[in-house]
Amino acid sequence: MDPVDVAVLLTVFGSVLTFGGAAVWALNWAVQNGQFENFQRGALSIFDVDEPVGQATDYFPGEAPPPAAS
Amino acid sequence: MAVNVLTRDDHRLQAARHRASIDLSCRGPVLAFCTTALFWLLVGSALALIASIKLHSPYFLTGSSVLTFGRVRMAHLQAVALGWSSLAAMAACLWLMCRLSRVELTYPRMLYVACALWNIATTLAVGGILLGDGTSVEWLDAPVYAQPFFVAGVGLVAGWVAATFRRRQESHVYVTQWYILAAVFWFPWLYTVATLMIFWTPVTGVVQPVINWWFNHNFLGLWLTPIGVGTAYYLIPKILGRPIHSYYLSITGFWALALFYSWAGMHHLIGGPIPAWLATASTVGSMMMFIPVIAVAINHHMTMIGYFHRLKYSPSLRFTVFGAIAYTAVSFQGSIESLKDFSEVTHFTHYTVGHAHLGAYGFVAMIFFGLYYYMIPRLTGREWASSRLIRLHFWCSAIGITLYFTTLSIAGWWQGRMLNNPNVPFANIIAYIQPYLALRSIAGILMTIGHIAFAILFIVNIAGWGRLRTAGPTLFVEPVQQHTPEVATSVPYLRPQSVHLHQ
Repeated sequence: MDPVDVAVLLTVFGSVLTFGGAAVWALNWAVQNGQFENFQRGALSIFDVDEPVGQATDYFPGEAPPPAAS
Repeated sequence: MAVNVLTRDDHRLQAARHRASIDLSCRGPVLAFCTTALFWLLVGSALALIASIKLHSPYFLTGSSVLTFGRVRMAHLQAVALGWSSLAAMAACLWLMCRLSRVELTYPRMLYVACALWNIATTLAVGGILLGDGTSVEWLDAPVYAQPFFVAGVGLVAGWVAATFRRRQESHVYVTQWYILAAVFWFPWLYTVATLMIFWTPVTGVVQPVINWWFNHNFLGLWLTPIGVGTAYYLIPKILGRPIHSYYLSITGFWALALFYSWAGMHHLIGGPIPAWLATASTVGSMMMFIPVIAVAINHHMTMIGYFHRLKYSPSLRFTVFGAIAYTAVSFQGSIESLKDFSEVTHFTHYTVGHAHLGAYGFVAMIFFGLYYYMIPRLTGREWASSRLIRLHFWCSAIGITLYFTTLSIAGWWQGRMLNNPNVPFANIIAYIQPYLALRSIAGILMTIGHIAFAILFIVNIAGWGRLRTAGPTLFVEPVQQHTPEVATSVPYLRPQSVHLHQ
């Protein structure tokens, strides 16, 4: 095998180990950390008391805000 | 002893003030990325128009070697993919990561360096290609001397995103954060490996195009797609004030994308001299992409059910939902295109070009337009100057990309059918597709008009020209009259004219 072949093989197997390993590690961390336990809470994590669920946060400048959801 | 009892309004004020301080910490670097991204969008649009017109009017601008089709087309790709899309993507990563981690951005000066490095790289790429220094490797056309700047620039951004995530104060990792972390982890490695193996220690033979298309497809799939989808996962629920339809599905979709998208690149080499199993594995990977795409589609579209009337009111929502619909469409189409029977007709035709633009523009650019309309007023503390110009931008972009996609899909399909028929003279095929290519230029002009409207709005906003708007949905204005002086100084850019808390 010439040096280029070695470089290719190292890159391919290195990538498999790095990316596969990273994915397994991240998934394991997320499970251990309880990230997948309460999905409802997860979906609500982008809201807060000032911009709660039910609050539209964007409309055309200088125009009326949207009416409440049907 | 006085006892401080926080009222509901105080809690709301605290939350709003915290959010405003996070936005303020991002202002400088994120605006630097946004401004330069927009510059490259305009450069890319001009180059696109020249390339497009040359295809139906071949004597257009023939006097200069700089403006030959082979150079202009490649320079266009670098300007819009590496310039506009990637810079906007990095702005999205930084702002969304700060907001979702609920922490301020630290050491912003290094991000100016990152932005400068990426822009030097893009300038070298676009300039180098126009001056005849391109590498002729599709998507990696940038001259080799531009490559280290790209790696250093995105490396710094990746480091900052990771550091922000580590300092997070929100315990839950929102789906957008998963997408962003994955993208900044994947892309620097992807780019480094591809350039090393093609230019610095070049592999030979068919391995070179294999690496080339592994990179090209993953540039979209593991860099722009996760950031675009992640941005929509934040903007749609946030604008509507409605949680995502199925959060469980969104997480499943992310992991399915992580598992399958990187397989898909070899379907570009169907029919080429590569081992058959490679192309077949890619076709299988492309089919498996139905899982994450359907998960994202269900989520984005079901969240909108019952709320479509909101499109009338929100500029960001219009662009973002258009982008989300285009994502579903382009992904379904891409999976079908990976089938060998389908490829027999569409490969090497304008059909593929239409597909690529539906992805890069209809999906990615439209979602980033939506992000700009939402994010910029919150960074500058200033509302958009003109609703009319926003509407002009939306309709020019939406009609432009729809016309573009439709004409090239029809032209490409029949081009492929005729190319496969040995009885059809080649010149007849050229004559048949010429009017469609002219229509493509009209679509390009429409999109460029939209970009000019967008640029005017952006410049007026950044420069602080035009009428100030204090009553808008996007601005947090500190109610100084009712609160202590230290409150008023904590967020210096906010104007104290009136109390503005959301009704």
